[in-house]
Amino acid sequence: MKFKKNLLAAMLLIPTVVLADWQQPELSHDLTKVNKVIPAADFELPNMDEEKKKLSDYKGKVVLLNFWATWCPPCVREMPSMERLHQQFDADNFKVIAINQMEDSDQVFAFTGQLEIDPTFEILFDSSSEVSQDYAVRGLPTTYLIDKKGKIRYRAIGGREFNHPEVVKVINSLIEE
Amino acid sequence: MIVKFLQVLTLLFLSAAASAGEVSVHKNETTGLLTWTVKDNGFTLELIQLLPDFIRAIYAKHNFPPDEIERAASYCMFGSILKNTSKTNMSYRVADWRYVPKNQKGEAGEALPVKTKTQWLEEWKKAGIIFSWTLLPDSGDFAVGDWQQGFTTIKLPRESEFDLIYKWKLDGVAHTGTIENLKCAPESLSDL
Repeated sequence: MKFKKNLLAAMLLIPTVVLADWQQPELSHDLTKVNKVIPAADFELPNMDEEKKKLSDYKGKVVLLNFWATWCPPCVREMPSMERLHQQFDADNFKVIAINQMEDSDQVFAFTGQLEIDPTFEILFDSSSEVSQDYAVRGLPTTYLIDKKGKIRYRAIGGREFNHPEVVKVINSLIEE
Repeated sequence: MIVKFLQVLTLLFLSAAASAGEVSVHKNETTGLLTWTVKDNGFTLELIQLLPDFIRAIYAKHNFPPDEIERAASYCMFGSILKNTSKTNMSYRVADWRYVPKNQKGEAGEALPVKTKTQWLEEWKKAGIIFSWTLLPDSGDFAVGDWQQGFTTIKLPRESEFDLIYKWKLDGVAHTGTIENLKCAPESLSDL
């Protein structure tokens, strides 16, 4: 009983206090050009409305593919910048896809309601982390920038300020190719 | 006798190879928990004391069985943030890192390997757990600006003191550093 009480208190209070320390690092905007350009593996995953979406559905558009989870502090921090980036571009040219790891739509719905900006980009659910394994994701967040031909061109490990002018410039250059 | 001699020789070698990283310690005014930050030649590592109840809360949220929650909480855990702060490529492997426990007199013991994420995942798989996140990835190849975070786990009792010997590579060149006198978190905030 005491254990359960302590655990409940910990679940409610301690993560907030400790996570405050975890949120210190400033977000950079560096994207790394990949040495070897390879096709991005196709996948089919459900979105918030349980509709199945494929990466190949977005061929012809530049795609920012982000792997994340609600409990991951840098993922949470970079999310508003992803939304601002998403809103900055024409939907015919650019798409943001955020692939959630091992959570469900209820958890994500509750989480997005607390964000400063409500995400309007596509959120997909990788419930068994199979897609993240296909993309060799070792930690969250990890992000790939995919060109119009469906090839991985840039990557970022760790949180980023995605609506930084340097990132926008890179995306514009991929759109113009 | 020979084994002891080799142990002493190893420690002397490690001390000699250790770089002089800039280490700072920060005390959280609200919790009293400590954070160590080392900045060492393009490698920046932050280690944040984590309370056992925090670990219990995290793994309970991910539906771990109670015995696995307790097993994880029995470890000395740190939230770790590892950053490439160089202008070139940086890589690390947790399997190369060692911790050196200290007794109450501050005397160093044998250097022991830090448990890796892969080792945890193998154990969790046997317990039917497929959740694979939260722990610091075993290795990383970081470009400029890349960083990662996750738990670092040390098999030591609460409030134990130890040194951490960390290794990394900058453009393929190996480096070694040590953070001295790290301390595991207490059982609860009231113990601080």
